[in-house]
Amino acid sequence: MLKVEHLTKVYPNGTVALKDVSFTVNDGEFLVIIGLSGSGKSTLLRCINRLIDPTEGRILLDDADVTKASSGDLRQLRRHIGMVFQQFNLVKRSSVMTNVLSGRLGYVNPFLSLAGIWSRADRDRALKALDRVGIKDKAYERADALSGGQQQRVGIARTLMQEPRLILADEPVASLDPVLSHSILQYLEQLNKEGITVLCSLHFLDLVHRYATRVIALKDGVKVFEGLPKEINRAKFKEIYGEEAQEVRATTVEEG
Amino acid sequence: MATKAPSPQADRSPIVAGLLSLILPGLGQVYGRQQYRGGVIFISELLAVLTAVWYKVPAWYAAPAIIWIWNVWDAVGAARGRLRSTLLPIAAALIMGYGIGWQITNIDLPALTRNSHRAAMILAPMLRPDFLSQVEVTNTAWAPVEVPCGPNPPASTNTINGITVTISPNCGKLNDALTLQASGLWPNTETLIQWSTPIGDRLPLGKGFITALYVPADAQGNLNVVIHVSPNALTAAPDPTLPLEHRVYLTQSHPQAAMQLSKNGAYVVDGIIQTLFLAFMSTTLGALLAVPFSFLAARNLMGGNPLTLSVYFIVRTILNILRSIEPLIIAIIFVVIVGLGPFAGMIAITLHTIAALGKLYSEVIEGIDPGPLEAIRATGGNWLQMVRYAVIPQIVPPFASFTLFRWDINVRTSTIIGFVGGGGIGFYLYQWIIKGDFRAVSSSFIAIAIIVIILDYVSARVRSRLV
Ligand SMILES: Nc1ncnc2c1ncn2[C@@H]1O[C@H](COP(=O)(O)OP(=O)(O)OP(=O)(O)O)[C@@H](O)[C@H]1O
Ligand SMILES: [Mg+2]
Repeated sequence: MLKVEHLTKVYPNGTVALKDVSFTVNDGEFLVIIGLSGSGKSTLLRCINRLIDPTEGRILLDDADVTKASSGDLRQLRRHIGMVFQQFNLVKRSSVMTNVLSGRLGYVNPFLSLAGIWSRADRDRALKALDRVGIKDKAYERADALSGGQQQRVGIARTLMQEPRLILADEPVASLDPVLSHSILQYLEQLNKEGITVLCSLHFLDLVHRYATRVIALKDGVKVFEGLPKEINRAKFKEIYGEEAQEVRATTVEEG
Repeated sequence: MATKAPSPQADRSPIVAGLLSLILPGLGQVYGRQQYRGGVIFISELLAVLTAVWYKVPAWYAAPAIIWIWNVWDAVGAARGRLRSTLLPIAAALIMGYGIGWQITNIDLPALTRNSHRAAMILAPMLRPDFLSQVEVTNTAWAPVEVPCGPNPPASTNTINGITVTISPNCGKLNDALTLQASGLWPNTETLIQWSTPIGDRLPLGKGFITALYVPADAQGNLNVVIHVSPNALTAAPDPTLPLEHRVYLTQSHPQAAMQLSKNGAYVVDGIIQTLFLAFMSTTLGALLAVPFSFLAARNLMGGNPLTLSVYFIVRTILNILRSIEPLIIAIIFVVIVGLGPFAGMIAITLHTIAALGKLYSEVIEGIDPGPLEAIRATGGNWLQMVRYAVIPQIVPPFASFTLFRWDINVRTSTIIGFVGGGGIGFYLYQWIIKGDFRAVSSSFIAIAIIVIILDYVSARVRSRLV
């Protein structure tokens, strides 16, 4: 469904964040991107919905060229691409409900939404989304009154409002403790099983092994690996993360 | 302060360092690779010497001398790779600072007790604030007198309110004796007798012409008394030889049980209302105008290209300058331009509010979390939706909180802006202080305290809900 071709991103200050990256994502995949901090994972994910404009290369979403889309077309494309962020990116002072409803902004009448008016159907949809992630009872609390794990679930509910075909998740569990990491990734896994393609960057290898259907690895903006999770052996690991790296597990805490 | 300097190395000659610092304070430290320390020492010594010279008190030369000697010792230390404690020179400078400060502020503690009688003079009337007065029914009449005598003196008898007043003779020079007769007054009631000049100034006719003259009417309501033309009757006359009609007024009054706002009490109410609206208008107007400036003064919005960046610097500079000028001073300028009154005060406080809120607002904008903006863009929302759902919720509560706080400050400023003619309670207060009417001063103090306390409380309550 998604084709990335020769993608390069050079930031205005000269940093080359991505260098000639190409890969394909098939329908229904749970593709995980790994790589050291600064290897370009966030840049890659943000190029796909063009929160960042790539310098060179093409991105095709079901044959629609994202890189060439006009700003109107781009908003249409973005409606179907959900995004989950490491820092949740909720409006902390707004209610959980408002945060979830804002995921619907691409669909609704702009004038009504500017006046803060939402249809019955959208409100029901928002409550249903919150119910799916198990925090329907928090709908009218302020977002910053929730714990980190609950806030990320609000982030997922907001994404569900978009009825996405593709979810981009940029280190969705990096701010959470290991137990919560699994609960959040299980929601993503569930959505993936229902047919939503997931593109997710992760830090911990045990999580990669547990959730990924396929993995690509970036190093200094270059794709250095593409394959199945079980193909990442000790040698590959050293190649991706460097000689001194130790494998760290998200779940070491419980497993002793 | 010297912590950032590279740690000294013991590779310089202590003798050279000491000599250099003896010639020019700080030079030895520079030689010992302590450039920053040397600079600070040089500037401190220079300031200490200049201050001592300026104030011409020989004792003050001790401080620069101590710093100079210490600096030589320090330079030797620096050359040997040791940093000396800065306690001594700092203490010397502080003692000098306090000494000169004492001298400059004319501290005169005995004055606090020496003039206690003045305090009593002020405090006694202040304990009886002039706000309410008893309702009185009055009975008034008058008769004309010509001063000095002219060819056609006015009729000497005048009847008003059933009271007939006769003065004979019906003209005279200053200090002449006149016989005043009246009938139809309230019987057995004190009657106040006053001289009224052609421009309406009421002059007292009692002892020495400085106290009020009270004469009782008899059981029939008649009164008969000799008065003298006030020696001050012609003080305001343009030509003392021109005969003009003056009047003698008779006033009786019966106090009633009811209370009413006194004349000054009404002024206090009027002044407080003016003050509140002055603050209200300048806060709301200032807040509205501050919004566009705050966007121009927010670095995260304006840092994009050199053009917007220069707009940012210009707006910042203007706001900083404007904010550093007290509203009282701005008001003086606008009193000259638009005249005395609340309008001048309003402009001054509005300008200051724009500057103060513009800065605070811009800091709020600079501090917003870009995450939600990114999230709204990612859902396919347009620019306006992003502002509505990601920017406004982040900035409105702190904006409102800062604005309320400003209102609080502006009410205080509005109470004194009248001292320079900017309207509000301060305008009356200033005049009462000058006239020495401390009863009215006291009632305005109380009124100001009450509204400031109430607003303080309300704004704190509302603000605590906003955060
Ligand atoms: N706005 C920017 N301007 C300039 N350089 C940037 C910008 N954003 C990222 N970079 C640089 O681009 C490179 C890739 O950054 P990116 O955030 O994509 O890495 P990442 O893999 O997501 O790292 P992390 O795991 O720390 O989130 C880094 O060297 C980073 O410093
Ligand atoms: Mg990242």
